[in-house]
Amino acid sequence: MDIAAQLTVNSLIAGSLYALVAMSFNLIFGATRFFNLAHGALATVGAYGTFYVGVVLGLPLSVAVAGGVLTAALAGYALERLVFRPLRARKASNLVLLIASLGILIAVEAILAIFFTSQFKTLSVLTGAAQTIHIGSAVITHVQLTMFASAVLVCGTLWLVLSKTSFGRAIRAVSDDAEVAKIVGINTNVIIAALFVIGSAIVGLSGVLYGLDTGIEPRLGFMLLLKGVIAAIVGGIGNVYGGFLGAFLVGFAENFGIWFISGEWKEAIAFGLLVLFLVFRPQGILGKKHT
Amino acid sequence: MNAITTERLRKTFGGVAAVDDLSIVIQKGKIIGIIGPNGSGKTTLTNVLTGIHRMDGGVVVVGKKERTRIKSCEVFGLGLTRTFQNVRVFEQVSVLDNVLIAITKKGVLGSLFERASAAQIQNADAVLARVGLTEKRDALAAELSYGQRKLLEIARALATDAEIILFDEPYAGLFPEMVKRVSGIMQELKAEGKTVILIEHDMALIRELCDHVLVMDAGKLLAEGTPEAVLSNPSVIEAYLGV
Ligand SMILES: Nc1ncnc2c1ncn2[C@@H]1O[C@H](COP(=O)(O)OP(=O)(O)OP(=O)(O)O)[C@@H](O)[C@H]1O
Ligand SMILES: [Mg+2]
Repeated sequence: MDIAAQLTVNSLIAGSLYALVAMSFNLIFGATRFFNLAHGALATVGAYGTFYVGVVLGLPLSVAVAGGVLTAALAGYALERLVFRPLRARKASNLVLLIASLGILIAVEAILAIFFTSQFKTLSVLTGAAQTIHIGSAVITHVQLTMFASAVLVCGTLWLVLSKTSFGRAIRAVSDDAEVAKIVGINTNVIIAALFVIGSAIVGLSGVLYGLDTGIEPRLGFMLLLKGVIAAIVGGIGNVYGGFLGAFLVGFAENFGIWFISGEWKEAIAFGLLVLFLVFRPQGILGKKHT
Repeated sequence: MNAITTERLRKTFGGVAAVDDLSIVIQKGKIIGIIGPNGSGKTTLTNVLTGIHRMDGGVVVVGKKERTRIKSCEVFGLGLTRTFQNVRVFEQVSVLDNVLIAITKKGVLGSLFERASAAQIQNADAVLARVGLTEKRDALAAELSYGQRKLLEIARALATDAEIILFDEPYAGLFPEMVKRVSGIMQELKAEGKTVILIEHDMALIRELCDHVLVMDAGKLLAEGTPEAVLSNPSVIEAYLGV
């Protein structure tokens, strides 16, 4: 039982992290319809933003977290304005956009490695010694609890915005048929830019939290991206809530999977799940309905 | 007064001119019919006027300005809207929201903190009642029948409150009672002083509704005039019979 409780907590922690990536990935994908691999780079940018503000500049934790999230949001906005929008205007195919985003992912990792070296760094200066909470026989740190709270809060806020506000209605319209959305007066470029800001802030937060929990290195975003995208597809590509569900499915499968198979296979479990879904339920858990 | 004027408007697809140096005048406050055989460029004209396709040449005068480029996100601001021949509603959005989209705020900050007000919802409900979709209000547009989607598209166009509305074959696939309702709407729009452009193959409807008819053939203007004059014109009959 002890193991089960801890595995449940671990699953929820991993799921929360993946959920932040998957929800934001699907939020942007819903409206832009291309596989934005640069999304992962923004998690790294967020983590290094926090490192810079908190460790290099020595500002307090809250400022460092805000700084990291804001840096990621701005970087996402910049990518949309400087790379993706010009490519869309030229009617570039989704393959071209995908390759451009892969290029950005690699370039951002390289640039961060140049400035900060590619060595692993911890952010424990900011968090101090990990404070833990006991839930029954399971242990969870404050940072990990924040991950879970963030995932739930972000999901709830996105639900409110998407289903209750005029902005959300416009997003759903753009995701559905961007050309017609323009005809009814929606400036799709502005909506997409806003989605990049919001989505990049969310994925930036995932990078920041991962950094505070584990530490940072330039490739952390790539790892998060892989799991996040698997969760996004498993949940239903382009579907925000699907991304949330898919993330916890991946989290639970990974952590409980090693009960049955050896721990070395942990990384393979998510991919196995992906293949199963691609073959038997390609539309994912929730399908494409609702953004 | 003219609602839209085109001068030598041109749109080609791979060397073939779908709209071929077309110069037309759409008078304000009238129901203007556009007829012509399949492939004569009626839909392409609509697509160029609403920025779906970029024009390859010529000028369009709409909203007092001469334009050589129309962007589709500007069309709403010009007081122009349209329906699509191959119905395009927002499938994964509710019927009510399909209409509300045209009514509520469009800017990011304005819309982010806006919940549709009672007045806006009332407005949308009134439009849905007008096309007879009240009962389907909360359904997803994807769940509607083909005819109902056509009606929803008309509702969305009405909700934009545009001065000029382009209907691309709005009657196709409608039941007779729906046809009557849509014809009623066309006449109401005219009574409100709006300009209606109606692309239609059913000549009885053209006769019944239109003040003026433009006949297109191979991207050019073949004839124009009152419905009677145009429909008895030998070259129009010839074009339709494909002699
Ligand atoms: N997107 C496109 N790409 C290539 N060719 C096109 C495109 N749209 C229209 N065409 C061509 O342009 C010509 C005019 O087509 P259009 O759809 O405008 O005719 P239409 O008058 O609306 O016909 P219908 O009565 O069948 O709706 C046709 O030859 C058509 O094949
Ligand atoms: Mg047509």
